[in-house]
This record gives sequence, C-alpha cells and structure tokens, in this order.
Amino acid sequence: MGSTNSTLSRIPNVEELMQETGFTPAHIVRLYDRFEALDKEKTGHLRPQDFGAINRLAMNPIGDRIIGSFFSTGQETVDFHSFVRILAHFRPADKNRPKDPSMPQPVNSRTSKLKFAFQLYDQDKDGKISRAELLQVLRSMLEMQVTEEQLESIADRTIQEADLDKDDAISFEEFRKSLEKVNIDHKMSIRFLR
Amino acid sequence: MPSQKKNDIAIRMEDVGIEIDGELDSGSEDEARRRDRNRKAKASPRAGGRNGKPATSEDEEEEEDQDEAPRKRARKKKASAQDSEEEEEEDDRSVKRKGTKAAGRKKKAVEEESEESEEEERGKKKKGRKVTNKKQKDEQNKEKKGDAKGKGGKDKGNVKDKKNKNGKYSRECQAFVEKFEGALGKGKGRKLYAYKVMMAKKMIKFNRDFDNFKTACIPWERKIKEVESHFGSSVASYFIFLRWMYGLNLVLFAFMFGLVVLPEVMMGLPYGSIARKTVPRAEQERAMDISVLLDFGGYCKYSILFYGFYNDERTIGVLQFRLPLSYLLVGVGIFGYSLMVVIRTMARNSDEGGDGGDDGQFTFAFKMFTSWDYLIGNPETADNKYASITTSFKESIVDEQENQKDENIHLRRFLRVLANFLILCSLGGSGFLIYFVVKRSQEFANLDQDELSWFEKNEVEFVMSLLGLVCPPLFETIAELEEYHPRIALKWQLGRIFALFLGNLYTFLFALFDEVNAKLEKEKSIRNATIWGLNEYYSNYSSYHNTTDIPPPDIHPADVIRGPCWETAVGIEFVKLTVSDIQVTYMTILIGDFLRAMIVRFLNYCWCWDLEAGFPSYGEFDISGNVLGLIFNQGMIWMGAFYAPGLVGLNVLRLLTSMYYQSWAVMSCNVPHERVFKASKSNNFYMGLLLLVLFLSLLPVVYTIMTLPPSFDCGPFSGREQMYNVVMETIENDLPAFIGNIFTYATNPGLILPAVLLMVLAIYYLNATSKNYQNANLELKKKMQMARDEEKNRRNNKENTNQVMQDLEDLLPNRSLLPPAAEEENPPPDKVREKGSKSPKVAKRPGAAANGKGVNLQNDVSLAAPNPKAAVTHPPGPRGLSGNARGPPPGPVRGRGRGTPPPRH
Repeated sequence: MGSTNSTLSRIPNVEELMQETGFTPAHIVRLYDRFEALDKEKTGHLRPQDFGAINRLAMNPIGDRIIGSFFSTGQETVDFHSFVRILAHFRPADKNRPKDPSMPQPVNSRTSKLKFAFQLYDQDKDGKISRAELLQVLRSMLEMQVTEEQLESIADRTIQEADLDKDDAISFEEFRKSLEKVNIDHKMSIRFLR
Repeated sequence: MPSQKKNDIAIRMEDVGIEIDGELDSGSEDEARRRDRNRKAKASPRAGGRNGKPATSEDEEEEEDQDEAPRKRARKKKASAQDSEEEEEEDDRSVKRKGTKAAGRKKKAVEEESEESEEEERGKKKKGRKVTNKKQKDEQNKEKKGDAKGKGGKDKGNVKDKKNKNGKYSRECQAFVEKFEGALGKGKGRKLYAYKVMMAKKMIKFNRDFDNFKTACIPWERKIKEVESHFGSSVASYFIFLRWMYGLNLVLFAFMFGLVVLPEVMMGLPYGSIARKTVPRAEQERAMDISVLLDFGGYCKYSILFYGFYNDERTIGVLQFRLPLSYLLVGVGIFGYSLMVVIRTMARNSDEGGDGGDDGQFTFAFKMFTSWDYLIGNPETADNKYASITTSFKESIVDEQENQKDENIHLRRFLRVLANFLILCSLGGSGFLIYFVVKRSQEFANLDQDELSWFEKNEVEFVMSLLGLVCPPLFETIAELEEYHPRIALKWQLGRIFALFLGNLYTFLFALFDEVNAKLEKEKSIRNATIWGLNEYYSNYSSYHNTTDIPPPDIHPADVIRGPCWETAVGIEFVKLTVSDIQVTYMTILIGDFLRAMIVRFLNYCWCWDLEAGFPSYGEFDISGNVLGLIFNQGMIWMGAFYAPGLVGLNVLRLLTSMYYQSWAVMSCNVPHERVFKASKSNNFYMGLLLLVLFLSLLPVVYTIMTLPPSFDCGPFSGREQMYNVVMETIENDLPAFIGNIFTYATNPGLILPAVLLMVLAIYYLNATSKNYQNANLELKKKMQMARDEEKNRRNNKENTNQVMQDLEDLLPNRSLLPPAAEEENPPPDKVREKGSKSPKVAKRPGAAANGKGVNLQNDVSLAAPNPKAAVTHPPGPRGLSGNARGPPPGPVRGRGRGTPPPRH
C-alpha cells in the first residue's frame, strides 16, 4: 500500500492519466516499474534502442514498426504518459461496463485496437494499405525460399480478398471487415494488465 | 498486493451498482421469461441459505429471518386458510428459500399445500389473467426499482403476478448477494472475499501453467511441429500417425508382456527343465553362434520370445495363473483392442473433420495479418515460425491453384480414365506375375534342391522386390496424367501401392501355409513314433520290473525327440521379416537420403553441373511409401504376435528409434516438396488402410487358431485337439455349471443367426440415418455459404461509392463492352511487377485510373438516364438483382475466385 502511494506520487498528473486510459493505480505502478526497467539511463524518456532490448520485439518481423508506433512523428523519445497511452490500446475490453454515449470510443475498444494494428501496416499514413506496403510486410515475414512472383501473387490475392471498393488497396473499413471473425479483443489484449 | 486487491474490490463495487440497473432495464420479454422460470422454481424451492443481506432488502424480510421458525408453524394453518394476504405469502417464499436444509422437508409439505391452494386460485383466474398480463408488464416497468414488497394488490388478477414479480426481485437480490457477498460485507466477509479473488487469480495462473505442462507432456510434439513448420502438414501427418502407432503398440506390449511373458518368466519352469525349453542336442554346438542367433535359431528359438517355450500346465505359480487361457485371450484380445481403437479413432477424426468452421473467404488476409505470434522471443522458435508461415502460405497457394483450374473437363476425364486403365493393367500384370512365380516355386519345391540354380531358388523374392522397386514410381508417373490435387493424388497413390503390396502379402502367406502344412505332416509321423516308443517303453518296463508303477523315461530334455513345432517356425518367419524390414528401411534412409545429401552437398564444389539444382538433388520425403511401410509392418506384428510374443516388444523399439531417426533424417537430408499441400485434417485414410490390413491379418490368425491342431509337444496348447479347447476346459472346470449352460445356449446357431441378422439391420438403419444427417449437413453448409455470399453482395452494393457505375452495369447487357473494368481486373503482368518494385506512390495509380473511368461513366449515364434505377434505390436488394449487378464484370479471375464457393473436401 505504502509503496503504491509513493510510486504514484512520483508520477505527475496521475489522476488524469488514469481517467484517460482506464488503468487502475496498480496497473499504473506496474507499468511505471516496467518503464523504469526499460529506461536504462534514467532519463525519464525511452528511445527506440531501449525497446530493441526486448527480444520479443527484436524477433518480430514488424518489430520496428511496433516500436515506431510508440513515437509520434518527428519525436525521438517517448515519456511515461505517452507510453501508457499507447499501451492502453492493449487493455482488455471491459465486459460489464455500460456503454456510455458521452465517451464515444474508449481507447481499448475493438475499433481502436484494430486501428492500431492497421497503422502498423499503413506506413505512409494515407489510410490505405497499399500493395507495396503489403509486399514489404510479406518480405519480412516469409523466408527466402518464396519467389518474388509468389510474394506478389499473395499480395494480390490478399488485396483481392479484402478489397471491396476495388481501389487496389485495403482501407481501414475493409481491414476491419476482413478481420471480423478474429477475436481481436482477445488477441490484442495483455491480460496481465487486468 | 493489498492495494491491488482493494482495487479489484473497488471495481466490483462499481460494477455492482451498474449491474443492478442493467438487469432491471432489460426488456419486458426478459421479464416474462424470468417470471416463467420463477413459477417453475416455486415448485422446488432451493434450500441454499445465504447469510448475507440482500442489498435492497426491506426491513420485513429481515425480521422474518429472525423469527423464522415460529412463522413456519403458524403458516401451516394459514396456508389452509386460503385467502391469506398475498404479501404474506410472498414473504413466506423468501423465507423458505432462506431456510436451512434441515427444515427442508417440512417446508416442502407446506409448499405443497400452498401450491394446491394456488392451483385453485389459478383455475379461477385463468381467464382474467391473460388480459391483465399486459397491464402487469407496464406496471412492472414503472416500478422497477425493486421494492420487493410491492404495493398492495387491489384487483385479484394483479395480485398473482405481483407475487411472482416480488419473488423475482428477491431472487435477483439473492443472486446478487451471492455474487458480491464479500465485497459488500465488513470485516471477515471482506477478507474472505479478498482471499477468494486471490485464489481465483492463482487458479487461472495455475491452469495456464498446467496447460503448458500438458502440451509439454505430449511426446515429440515439438519435433513434429518443427517438421511441420518446414515440410508442411502432409509430412507431419506421417509423424503423427507414427506417434499414434507407437501408442497403440505400447498398449499391446503391455498386454503381452504383463499377461503372458512376465508370468511365464516369474512363475513358469526355468530354461532347461523340460524338452521344449531346451536346445536339442544336435543344435547345441552352434546354439550360441552369432549367425545362428541372427537367424533366430539356437538359444533364441527356445526362448521366451517364441510360442514353443511356453508350457501347457493349466495353472502356474502360487497365484494359480492360467497361462494357456491367458495366452489365448491376449492373442485374441490384441485384435479386439486394435479394432476398437482404430475404429474409435476414425469416428473421432471424422467428427473433427466435419465442422466447416473456417471458410475460404479471407484465407490470405488472415494469414497475412494474424499469423505472427507476438510472444516469440527465442531466435530458434522465430525461425520455425517463419518457416511455418511460409509453408502455410505455400499450402494455401497450392489449394488456390487447384481451385482455379478447370480448363478442359473432357480431356481431364479422358486422361483420368486412361491413367486408371494403365494402372489397372500394371496391377493386373504384376498380380499375374506373382501368381505365376508362386506356382513355379511350388513346382520347384518338389524337385531336388541341388538341381536348382540360385535364381530359381530365390525367384519369388526377386520378383517381389523388383515389383516393389518399379511399380510405385511408375504409378506416380501415370498419376501425373490425372492432375489431381496433390492431397487427393496422395490418396490414390496410397491405394494403388496398397493393392500392389497385397500381392506381396499374399505370396508370403501362401509360402507360409505350405510350410506349415509340411510341418504338420512331419509332426504327425513324429508324434505317432513318440507315442509308439512310449508305449513300448511302458510295456517293456512293466514286463521287466513286473510293476504298474512306472517312472517316466529318464531322458535328458535335450535328447527328447520332438516335433517341428510349426508355431515357432511361423513366429520366426514373422520376426525375421520384421527385422529385415527394419534393416531395409534404415539402410534406405542412410543411403538414399543421407549419403545422397552428403554427396550432393559436398561434391557440388567440384562437379561439372549443379548437383543441388540438377539431377540428383536432395531427396523428398516419401509420404506414401513410409505410411504404407508402417501399415504393413503393423500387419506383420498383428499376425506374428500370437506366435512370437516378443515381436511386439521388438516393434515398440523399432517405432521408438524410427521416430528419432526419421525426424532427424527429414530435417537434415530432405527438402520440402515442390508443392507443399495441406493434409486433410483427419488422417482417416491412413486409418482406413490400417483397418483393412488389420482385418486381413486377422483372418489367417483366426483361421489357424480355429482349425489347425496345435503341436503336441510345444507351446501352451500342446496336447489339446484345438487351441480354443482351453476356453472350454476353463468353462467346464473352473466356472459354475450354469455359466457353461449359458455358453452352450449362446453358441447355439439358432441364437447366433438372429443376432447377426439384428446386427445387420442395426447397421443398415444407422447407415441410413447417418446418410440423412450428412445430407442435412451439406444443405446447411450450402445455405450458410449462400447467406454469406448474399451478405457480401449486399455489402458491396451498399458500400460501393460509385453507384453510378453499378447502375450502368445493370444497364449494359454485354459486359465486355466495359473495357476499363476488364483491364482493371486483369492487370498485365508487367504492369504489376512495375507497381510492386517501384515506390508506393505508383500504387496510387489504379485509383486515379478508376477516377478517370468514373468520369467517363458518368457521361454514359447521362445518356441512359431514363432507365430503371432499381439497384440504387434499394441498396440491399434481393439476391437475384445483386447477383445480376455483380455478374460477369469482375472478369474471369475474380469471378472464379470469389463468386463460386470452392469445392469442399
């Protein structure tokens, strides 16, 4: 109890943060510990290299994109508040909470989770996953044995499947439709945060 | 930690407040349902007492809690007085629920009484009720804030429902209290609750760990997954089958070892005590020679491994273990168990295969966006994951390719018929060849062995191995004509080679039966001679010593004249065959795969052409050959296990080593197939073949057990007319008489025939039902697919921003007049490549093109303005219409890929 309070008191604007992200104090404390562990040089900011130390991200074919998603454009570092805000995407959806119309989209809703995933693929931020972007991901995800031709046909096929308005790219809406059956709430949640 | 607990509680508290509202807000339909349930629940009141207080409880109820017992007594009288206040009754009920179990029975009596009275009431009010019902609901909605007491019922009809409603509220309260008891309570209850929450968390964690542990316990799961990720599910299916087989053999081994081998070793006579357990004098010199032992002669032949070693004493040891009976029952039980397991596995597999859960709608998108496992932090695992994603993509590509090709159906049909004809021809040819060779070898057997050349002696083996070498590749080549999906092609290949191998089996059994018959003849003469000799000895002894108390002849067990013991000979044949099969398999892997891979890999540095890409290259894993090898090997085990109990143990060793050996060989010296294909979910085809082999191997064994007389001087059944006489003996001697009677009746043909008839009828009936279900299933699947298509079409129509274009599509009868659409569907390959290789900016081009097209179309539309606009005004239009709208224009590629559902397997 005591440690919790003292940790909380070290974080500025903690109430606001909790309000915004829906995390409980215990979660915040936990995240803060994690943040400090990653922040080797104790600057209060994380740099991309710090994330690289997590080998789960290092192994990931789109790991650098995930790391990139923590940094808003033009910024080299991320502080604790934005760190928590990003991670709030991964909070499990609350089950028996009423839908409050005044707060339209909680950050951990299905849609915003999907949006987060979508942005990982949409590198140029034009709201569409283009064929070239798909190919990039495919190249990093598959082994060398696959020929370029096959890669292209996979990309074409993926677009063909998901593409509804035939603009040869996957918009967010189409992305959402194609992953309709996937249990995003389950997959994109970090259960330890509950 | 404590702080966290507190938070949890806090959350719960919040939830609580909300939940009450939420529940009460539910629609009137819900209410009605719940009321219904309440009515039912009334008949059987739960006695589960709760000590917590309902959150919205009113004072009265609490009071009642305290003076419960006197109240109850009082009520007995009251209940009979029918027109007690309704409120009272309601309270009554809640009290009842709170009562302890001890009071349960008494309460029941009360309940019955009151129920009766209610019944009467109901009868009276039945008519009035329906009318008032609606009113009720409205009222309920108004006063939903749960004053469980309710207002005093004014009109009679109302009262009734109010009672129910009140009951419902108090029930809700109760459920609520049950749920959040601790969070609401103070002191002890709260601590208990915190503890409960903590335990629940621990439990979840434990369950997860336990699941991990369970997965880790599945033998070779990691090995198989590794193979699967590099070679695809088809190769993995072989290893899964191998693992399954290993499990089966372990059980068989446990039976054999525990019930036959172990008792004989522990309690039976030791080696050298009687003739059958001793090496004969003539063979003793060479009994330990390695060459003899490798042929399973010498000490091997007279060991626990084979049938002949077992003694025919009815019971052995202090336990009075009936070894002969156990031997027979285990021999038959192995078949029974195997049959059961195979059939059960098949049934379960077909269950699993049946669900059409994943449709082929977004295969690639799914794989693309969701296949990576974000918890992978280990480079090796990551490598495997890369490989498996690649493989699964390849599998999907193959499936997709297969779905897309149907160019010339007539040519294909013709080719398939031709291929089958060719294969039938070669199968028939090889069958005749085998028959011919076997016939010839029988003729040779009658001739003098010295006159025959080496070739003539080994003709059968030579021809068999030649056929086994030539035919499978031949079949494979012919099968190229058919152009089946590789998965189906594998099945055909398996079936054809299976038919070929049956010939192998046939010749082997034929030769074996010849041998057995010869041995039986020989045995008959030896037996007669032995009996005659014994009689001579007895008569001589009695006349010489003038006594009837004759000791058995004093001959050393090694010198006793003995018969050929055909059972052991058969057992040795099977063991030899199994061992040679193991040798051949392992050598093939060593030379055909390992050595080849070595040569290709290292000689490639100094060779004139590229060995890796060119002629020898690396081997592929031969699924059909390996599966069939496994199946036939198992057939040998089933047939041989009765005559050589040690064979099962040998096979267990073989499977164990081959699991490691083969998975190593696959990973180190093979390359994946060119077209990796997805194995069917259930490997029921393998199982079907196995079942067939099981049946085929069951026949000869049962035949020998039922008809051939056992050897007179070896094995557990010696001295009996038939092997199954052991069972008869046991029934007569050891079981009470009536069981024998029952047995006699049961074996009466008059009973067996109707039983068989009944079974046939049952099979027929079940078959018919399952057919019906299958049809229904198919229908439903079709409907689901249709519904999906419809939804998709609707979505497309609705969300197509360019509605004008749609309109136009409706308008134009001939879609080929729409050049831009066609072009968009079929982008020329060079354009595609260009798009892929250039910067993402280029990717926007098609969009721009589409815009341009849109403009053009608009012009067209203005020309065709007065045409019907049905499709636009009714966006989610009926199927026919939307189908029409989306018909041909998507071009050939698209139309086939999406419109028609892919054929299901």
